[in-house]
Amino acid sequence: MLKIIIPSLMLLPLTWLSSNKNVWINVTAHSFLINTLAMATLWQMNETGMGLSQTFYIDPLSSSLIMLVIWLLPLMLLASQNHIKKETDYNKKLYISMLIILQTLLIPTFSANELMLFYILFEATLIPTLVIITRWGNQTERLSAGLYFLFYTLVGSIPLLIALISINSSLGSLNTLLLTLSNYMLNQSWSNHILWLACMMAFMIKMPLYGVHLWLPKAHVEAPIAGSMILAAILLKLGGYGMMRLSVILDPLTKSMAYPFIMLSLWGMIMTSSICLRQTDLKSLIAYSSVSHMALVIAAIMIQTPWSFMGASALMIAHGLTSSLLFCLANTNYERIHSRTMIMARGLQTAFPLMALFWFLGSLTNLALPPSINLIGELLISISLFSWSNFTILLVGTNILITALYSLYMLITTQRGTLTPHMINLQPSHTRELTLMMLHITPLSLLMINPKFIMGNTL
Amino acid sequence: MAAWRLSLCARSLSAIRGLQTNHLRWKSSSSRAVIARSSVKRKEQREPTEGWMEDPDPKDENVYLKNSNFHGYDDDPVIDFWNMQVVFFFGFSIVLVFGTTFMAYIPDYGMVKWARQEAEMLVKHREASGLPIMESNRFDPRKIQLPEDD
Repeated sequence: MLKIIIPSLMLLPLTWLSSNKNVWINVTAHSFLINTLAMATLWQMNETGMGLSQTFYIDPLSSSLIMLVIWLLPLMLLASQNHIKKETDYNKKLYISMLIILQTLLIPTFSANELMLFYILFEATLIPTLVIITRWGNQTERLSAGLYFLFYTLVGSIPLLIALISINSSLGSLNTLLLTLSNYMLNQSWSNHILWLACMMAFMIKMPLYGVHLWLPKAHVEAPIAGSMILAAILLKLGGYGMMRLSVILDPLTKSMAYPFIMLSLWGMIMTSSICLRQTDLKSLIAYSSVSHMALVIAAIMIQTPWSFMGASALMIAHGLTSSLLFCLANTNYERIHSRTMIMARGLQTAFPLMALFWFLGSLTNLALPPSINLIGELLISISLFSWSNFTILLVGTNILITALYSLYMLITTQRGTLTPHMINLQPSHTRELTLMMLHITPLSLLMINPKFIMGNTL
Repeated sequence: MAAWRLSLCARSLSAIRGLQTNHLRWKSSSSRAVIARSSVKRKEQREPTEGWMEDPDPKDENVYLKNSNFHGYDDDPVIDFWNMQVVFFFGFSIVLVFGTTFMAYIPDYGMVKWARQEAEMLVKHREASGLPIMESNRFDPRKIQLPEDD
């Protein structure tokens, strides 16, 4: 594990000691090289995962998420290179440092052996993200967005800290591996109900669950492109990962406590999908679509069947790549027309044909077109939800329909039709932007062929 | 009246002769017609014939004018070119190609084939020795220590 963490940490001196004209080249190249090192974690030999040391443990669930984190750093650097051009060199290096610190904190988060270490790193990732949103966002609303983001998450995670300390004192250890072997039965009592809520609420807010999702549209919209990418692709999945890890100690109370949250997420996914149909702001549409997809993941994790865990892991990775791709596409629009309104630049297929291909592929994967991995995730979740209760098929089916509707609405509004006549200053697509999209699409397409890596630990 | 008629003649003659500097909107076949531009000041200018972009940013210059091989990375063409090559090499040629090859050729991911081979070996062995294929007790009942019946 150190062979991944130490190079990631060493990217920081690389940033600050590189000459100003070479900094982007150096950091991008080295972050790609860290990817080659980290591929070794994908070689999961058995169902128990790789116990790398007393602190780090990677099982098939963590390995795909860690790969996503490490893959996303060079992509974030590529995406930010243009809008950061106008800042001073010091600010550029500071921005890159924030992204590197975020990656260095996220890698141990997903591989932490101890739940307390996971909690500390989970909280620590909030700081660089807050800095990125509030310092480098574009509109004045970014301050309110940062506040919402920070305090929504903190309100949920202080009870989590207390719950973890209480479980530590009663069980003796918070080791994820040991906890799977422990006999900690939560029986039905008021304090255990509160303990369950305390453990789960932090991750529900992070996912986000429909009732506590208000921070997400604000944070995603106001963040700069790298902030949006890392938020949508990784930080939301921290919630899902945490719920999956904690669910081993919260049995059998989950069977009764999960009902309100399953209902909220099933209803919420239809609600947020419907809100997407009425959005004028492109980034806001993609943000609400993230809420909708993650609601499926919450419902899957709450019902705790092997297939639903497989679907949840697959959908987390697939949605990470797809959502990041859509945010990058929206950013290419924003950099040209300086507005997030969808109808400002229509008919872009005529102006940018190759980018239209990536818009098309991104929208198709967003609506979970077979054979993409989004479909594998959604299908496994739908089937397991149906077997849990037949009625859910109505809600999930409606959501799949509305997801297709808004994805196609976004595609047709931005790409099809006649080019808006007042847009005369649209520069052709840069190589950097097309490379960025290709680097998103290639893992998505390759995983279609061999999805066993993203299916999580119940494969 | 006569002054008016005189001025009318003068204006029409000079208009026909092209001495009036105002542009005429149209020429008439009648020699007595006086066509002059309206002296009423219009409230607004005509809209320009080419399109406009809402709030054009004066800093939005066309980067391709300075460097026709602009790749999107940097304004300096040398750094831009290097950055493009580095991203393509490390991103595609090393990570995607080697990574995909690695993932495609991982031997027996999750030990699925091993488990199948092991199970077949066990079944063959047990059927040859006449034992049942699987025992109904997962754990040895002699090793389980039950508490006393209170």
